Amino acid sequence: MLITHHLLAWPWALGGAGVAFVTLLLLFVSGRRLGVSGGLDAVCSYALRAPYFQLRGLLDARSFRAQFLLGLLLGGFLSAVLGGGFSPSWDMGIFDQFVGWGPMGKVAWMFVGGSFIGFGTRMAGGCTSGHGIFGISHFEGAGLVSTLAYMGAGMVTTNLIYRVVLGAF
Amino acid sequence: MPFFYILCGTAFGFVLSRSGAADYDMVQGMFLLTNVQLYGIIGTAVVLTAPGLWLLEKHGKTLFGKKLTIETKPRHKGNIVGGVLFGIGWSLTGMCPGPILVNVGEGKLYALAALAGALVGAALFGKLYAPLAKKLGLPPI
Repeated sequence: MLITHHLLAWPWALGGAGVAFVTLLLLFVSGRRLGVSGGLDAVCSYALRAPYFQLRGLLDARSFRAQFLLGLLLGGFLSAVLGGGFSPSWDMGIFDQFVGWGPMGKVAWMFVGGSFIGFGTRMAGGCTSGHGIFGISHFEGAGLVSTLAYMGAGMVTTNLIYRVVLGAF
Repeated sequence: MPFFYILCGTAFGFVLSRSGAADYDMVQGMFLLTNVQLYGIIGTAVVLTAPGLWLLEKHGKTLFGKKLTIETKPRHKGNIVGGVLFGIGWSLTGMCPGPILVNVGEGKLYALAALAGALVGAALFGKLYAPLAKKLGLPPI
């Protein structure tokens, strides 16, 4: 069951097929490689003048990336609207159950976590989409190594939080 | 192709939202090894994408006849160090970059803080690129 309107999640095979379909469609129609975290650079490039954000490759792709990010936002919005209506909330599943922090605590937690994501994905050169889905499907060493690194670190962190510190599982 | 990119993003975001890939509990379940959902999604996606990529690369042309080539991402120490940092962030927030946007769209208010953090993190990385590139063997600017 999902946190959003307690909807029943799709079977995983359908989710995976949907991901593969969009990945291949995007490549076949536009020649673009799937990747989300590059979009963070793209957004930064509109505001920041550091040389890293003015690289040719980044500027060429930033319009595509920004539009794809906008689409992701719309996809989530559409999912909420069709699934029971758009009703902003702070619901956070087992975090509420076992950590129990209020909105201010969640904002701080999320900002810290988010900064790890932004810094880490850019250093790794990709995230779950570009390294995990696309990279591994393309048999890339960088994709495999990065995926092992973030999956391992995620397992250690979540187990530290929920099993070791909170004793929840 | 502005309309096309937005549409692809929307479809992708909808799939992530409904399959559980953007769900805090499902992500923690993946890392706790108590829920197979995300392994199933990623596994299925790779199993279907891999032969598709092979065929498209062999075909060598896009739908509109433009040259289709896939650049391989560079291998460097940043893959590991950055991957570990990202994994910590994915665990803390229950979101990877795509799902941050999806959660914002769904109306999860805390996801706005994750988005702000992710942009600040990326900005900081960009500022520190030159010294980091030397240490980690990243591509030179």
